[in-house]
Amino acid sequence: MQQEVVLAIAGSGGDGVITAGDFITKSAARKGLFAFMLKSYGPQIRGGESSARIRVSAKPIYSQGDFVDVLAVFSWKDFKRFTDEIELRENAVVLYDESDKTPLEAVPIPPEKNARFIAVPFKKLASEELKVPLAKNMVLLGVLGELLNLPLDALKDAVMQKFGKKRPEAAAINIQAIDLGAEWVKQNLPEGIPYRLAAEGGNPKLVMTGNDALAFGAIHAGLNFYSGYPITPASPILEFLARELPRFGGAVIQTEDELSAVAMALGASWAGARAMTASSGPGLSLKQETIGLAAMAEIPLVVVNVQRAGPSTGIPSKTEQADLFQAIGGTHGDAPRVVLAPADVEDNFQVAVEAFYLAEKYQLPVIILSDQFLGERSETVDEEVLFARERTIARKLPDKEELGEDYARYKLTEDGVSPMAIPGMKGGQHYISGLEHNEKGWPSSSGTIHQVMSEKRARKLPLIAEESGFVRVYGDEDAPFAVLAWGSTKGAVREAVEAAREKGMKVKAIVPQLLHPLPTKALDAALKGVERAVVVELSFGAQFYRYLRAFYDNLPKETYSYARAGGNPIQVQEVLKAIEAHYRKEVEA
Amino acid sequence: MEKVKLTAKDYKTKIPIVWCPGCGDFGVLSAIHQAVADLQIPPEKLGVVSGIGCSSRIAGYINAYGFNAIHGRPLPIATGAKVANPELTMLVAGGDGDGYSIGTNHFVHTIRRNPDLTYIVMDNRIYGLTKGQVSPTTPTGDVTKTTPSGNPERPLNPLALALELGATYIAQGFSGNVKHLKELIKGGIQHKGFALINVLSPCVTFRGKQEYDYVRDHGVYLDDVGHDPSDWNAAHEVTQWMLTKNQVPLGVIYKVEGRKTLADEVAEVQEKARAKKIYKDVRELIEQFR
Repeated sequence: MQQEVVLAIAGSGGDGVITAGDFITKSAARKGLFAFMLKSYGPQIRGGESSARIRVSAKPIYSQGDFVDVLAVFSWKDFKRFTDEIELRENAVVLYDESDKTPLEAVPIPPEKNARFIAVPFKKLASEELKVPLAKNMVLLGVLGELLNLPLDALKDAVMQKFGKKRPEAAAINIQAIDLGAEWVKQNLPEGIPYRLAAEGGNPKLVMTGNDALAFGAIHAGLNFYSGYPITPASPILEFLARELPRFGGAVIQTEDELSAVAMALGASWAGARAMTASSGPGLSLKQETIGLAAMAEIPLVVVNVQRAGPSTGIPSKTEQADLFQAIGGTHGDAPRVVLAPADVEDNFQVAVEAFYLAEKYQLPVIILSDQFLGERSETVDEEVLFARERTIARKLPDKEELGEDYARYKLTEDGVSPMAIPGMKGGQHYISGLEHNEKGWPSSSGTIHQVMSEKRARKLPLIAEESGFVRVYGDEDAPFAVLAWGSTKGAVREAVEAAREKGMKVKAIVPQLLHPLPTKALDAALKGVERAVVVELSFGAQFYRYLRAFYDNLPKETYSYARAGGNPIQVQEVLKAIEAHYRKEVEA
Repeated sequence: MEKVKLTAKDYKTKIPIVWCPGCGDFGVLSAIHQAVADLQIPPEKLGVVSGIGCSSRIAGYINAYGFNAIHGRPLPIATGAKVANPELTMLVAGGDGDGYSIGTNHFVHTIRRNPDLTYIVMDNRIYGLTKGQVSPTTPTGDVTKTTPSGNPERPLNPLALALELGATYIAQGFSGNVKHLKELIKGGIQHKGFALINVLSPCVTFRGKQEYDYVRDHGVYLDDVGHDPSDWNAAHEVTQWMLTKNQVPLGVIYKVEGRKTLADEVAEVQEKARAKKIYKDVRELIEQFR
């Protein structure tokens, strides 16, 4: 019995590949197993190739799994598109539809993988036995369920949940299809297929995508205004909020462009709302001017960037971590802002909560750097963990005595935060602008005032850097070697660190969730005793490595970079290789 | 205690005004002060959002919650603020460059959404703050710093554009007639929905004093000619006067009441969403992930 299995299903648009993947993930979660699903699409809007890669495990998992144990394909033509992304483990099991007569020597799977090919009549069973050709994905589910010891009852529950009420006939057909597939395995396949899962888990879990988790987290944090413009891969946030936020009395507006999206959110926040906008890299580029206005006028604003491969249009459907520089340094002038980086699905929820906490407390823009890999993947999540980090704060409002003619919106304070009168508040009338200004908000072109106000705005940053809980450490506490990573690479890094430890190395992973201002004290503590480090990231230009080099004084002298372009998420094996490459040097020295 | 009646003076601020002597924007400022005093709008319930340009400085000269934002974006900022805080009377101010050039996309879509905003555009037909470049409303043939041989392009017609887009209150005023302009602004504020008030507000520095003469000589008060602002076709003809008759229409060009505002739409969306499902607690959102 296996502790875990990595499955991949490839097909074209109408094949229901993603639906099948969703059912597997959901049923695993219900059985208390851990699951991780990554979807991938071709460039076509509809009808193109799609694949679902699902890892199911009895123990916690943090990445997509480097190698696929079991591959199922409806046609080899569709699979071809994913050879770059789906690498089989040696001796993997490959299920393919028997109607595809491509000779096995000609299929795009390297012979050295020594794959075990099994022809299965997915299409035939669906169209001949059920008379519903579309149900072939459910036949596949039954085959996989029986073959791998996935929880068949939970699979059927998941089907009932989706179709039971609204389309009972469809539900019945799907369940029949699952049974057909399972029965076919019993009749036709010998025992001893190696990937039978020990399918006993703990408490039932939730299944969420990162984008949904972020949107949910924002509502949990008190969001009441959202404006956004559709963009891949951030649109699901807009869609989730369009559906759910009005039920809580909030407003969602799909705007004419990215400029309007961020401006509306800023206006709403100025008028007292908790407001957010989300986009991807191209959208963040467009929003930068307004982010600067939020920094100058000191208005809380949460801006989400679900990064994709860039520059320019790049690869809209693929992940990357190369918007770090534009998040930290975008917009003109010295504009204080916060940059937060969620590292997994539950983090997306929690970071949304933290973003509002910091934006409201310090009255400045907060940028959340998620990415396609985080946003679009589904993961099992523990309900308890989700709500474990609750931080909220009300905006600092002026006292009655502070209001009136002498009210100073930008009063100089020790922490740089000035009481903010909300429109509607009697005696709080004042004028704000993107112009440099004095304490009362009056425009000023004095260099002296510009210096004083720049200092005031910047005073918030060291305080933010000391807010607790923003640096995670995994592995050996006293390790002399560390892997530094941020965002979605965390999963593979964490597993690579575990693999290195199993090989006898003393290693830890350090993953800051707050990227700007850098939580230097927490980093210092995490790096204590570390002599060498490698910075792992999905940025061809090694932005994180360069950022740390430039802005963090206590980086170990021997710090190396492992950086490559995005597109495909980072894998455990490549991180492990990077660890080994630099760790060995130390051993030799 | 008897409530003290607010006067125009109560809406002034102490922030020094940067406009040139003779600037048309002074007249617009007076008209706004008087209009909000006439309507007795409490200053704390008044929001003024502006963009960038000489005229956009106006947000600082009104005792209100003023927000002098960035170039071209006052409309979406005010829209967000109005949705978030519906009790505010929201004025939006800017120039022709701000509203009809860098912010045109927002102008178009704000009209479509119909938020309850009063948008006052101080149209001086030139870029004044940047010292004299051609603007989207500069007449064809006019010499400016960036059109030394005369403006080769046709000017944009904001009145016709607004009408075509379905705006429900469209007026044109003249900063040289504060009393008349004040009434147009009051009408805009009282109108439920988006109101456009295009104000010919001359830039004496870069277009000369003759700009005042032009409006005085060519201005036609719509009330005087019996224009019916509820008649869309008549309104359409009026929006073409500058081209067809070299006349400047002044007054309410088009006005209809009863169109849904953005606030109505937001409320409707909330109602429909709740009819499908109601949550007692945010945590209940979790059910869809089981």
